[in-house]
Amino acid sequence: MSTLLEKHIVELLQERNEKAISLLYEHYGDTLYGVAFKVLRDEELAQDVLQESFVKIWKKSDSYDATKAKLFTWLFRITRNSAIDKLRSVKTKTDKEIQINVSDVYSLGVNSTKPELMDVRENLEKIEPKYQIVLDALFFQGMTQQEASEELDIPLGTIKSRLKIGLRELKKIYGASMLITLLLSIIS
Amino acid sequence: MKDKIRIFLDTDLLEKYLIGSTSTEESLQVERYIAMYPEVRETYNELQENLETFAKMHAIKTPEGLKETIQNRIKQENKGRRKFFRYAVAASIAALIFAGSSYFFWNENQGLQEENTYVSNKIKDLEADMTNRLEDFRNQFIVLNNPQTKKYNVNGNQKAKELKAVAYINPVKKLSYINVRNLPNLPEDQCFQMWAEVNGEMVNLGVIKNISDKDKLFALPYAENAIGYITIEPNGGNVTPTVENIVANISY
Repeated sequence: MSTLLEKHIVELLQERNEKAISLLYEHYGDTLYGVAFKVLRDEELAQDVLQESFVKIWKKSDSYDATKAKLFTWLFRITRNSAIDKLRSVKTKTDKEIQINVSDVYSLGVNSTKPELMDVRENLEKIEPKYQIVLDALFFQGMTQQEASEELDIPLGTIKSRLKIGLRELKKIYGASMLITLLLSIIS
Repeated sequence: MKDKIRIFLDTDLLEKYLIGSTSTEESLQVERYIAMYPEVRETYNELQENLETFAKMHAIKTPEGLKETIQNRIKQENKGRRKFFRYAVAASIAALIFAGSSYFFWNENQGLQEENTYVSNKIKDLEADMTNRLEDFRNQFIVLNNPQTKKYNVNGNQKAKELKAVAYINPVKKLSYINVRNLPNLPEDQCFQMWAEVNGEMVNLGVIKNISDKDKLFALPYAENAIGYITIEPNGGNVTPTVENIVANISY
């Protein structure tokens, strides 16, 4: 289902059809907003970044190469990099403010999540925090395993094993969530 | 080989590439590994799936109205583009018009230059012609008014009895002219031609045209003991005089 949708969106993007943006927003908007928020930890800034990212996605749409990356990977890269750029520009301006605004990502609450993602979020909680932290460092902070080891003060070997287990857990959830989204798409 | 792949996977380069934080060089290296080794490709694809899942877990509902704001920005972006294209088209048309008019004016200029050369040449010719004529008239005047000018009546011989001409010779000014007063009628394919033998050389003075030339003075090249001849020649004149057709001669 997702690959068909991806193909459709990519086609629309290449035709420079504005419908692509609408579809992208519907299917990836929340996730990308989450990505921006994870980096910036500020709702307003994350919204700015999401806007900027969509404009970039639209402008760069002819540079997307399906053989090199999945659509989501490409969207993720654009959004994450925009967020990091934003973070840097804001940090140089008001270093302190950001730090005060730092809030725990995991305490954001289930209310702000899409209903169909609630199950996934519940599943996420099934992954032990120690694995989550490592996955987080890898996927969002862009740390190398060495950097994560130093940052989190965990031996490199432990990082590697936690990453492996974390990914395995993720795969289990991934399988389940795929089933859920598939069922949801059939119902709706 | 296996070691090489393992070492590569241990470097975190693939993970960095996944989230888009590799340099251009690193990206090229990773892409090469992905293309070359199925094991790396598999790991990469797995990482992509995991990334999507992991990211989806952190999805946050976007605020109301943000979608519309984004869509408006995209529309604005397109308008800007369209505007740019419109300007580009306008600029191209202007450039074309400019090029066209440049070529037109260049062409026009070239034509005018040619015309200018032609006209100035024409003026030069006319000037030279005028000078010649003026000189001629001056000489004619001198010859006709000078008391030292001798006047010879020239009559035609047997072949052209009606031919009458007057020659004016001025040995002081070294000028000689002839005025052909009357010419007998000739068959249509024949004409009268004037010659002068100057220092043993025969000079062609041209064809005498019947009517209009009655008052015209032909300049004769002056020389001591020169002889002028009038011959009957085929229409249009001849290159050398036909001796048996000499109808008059003027020795001066």
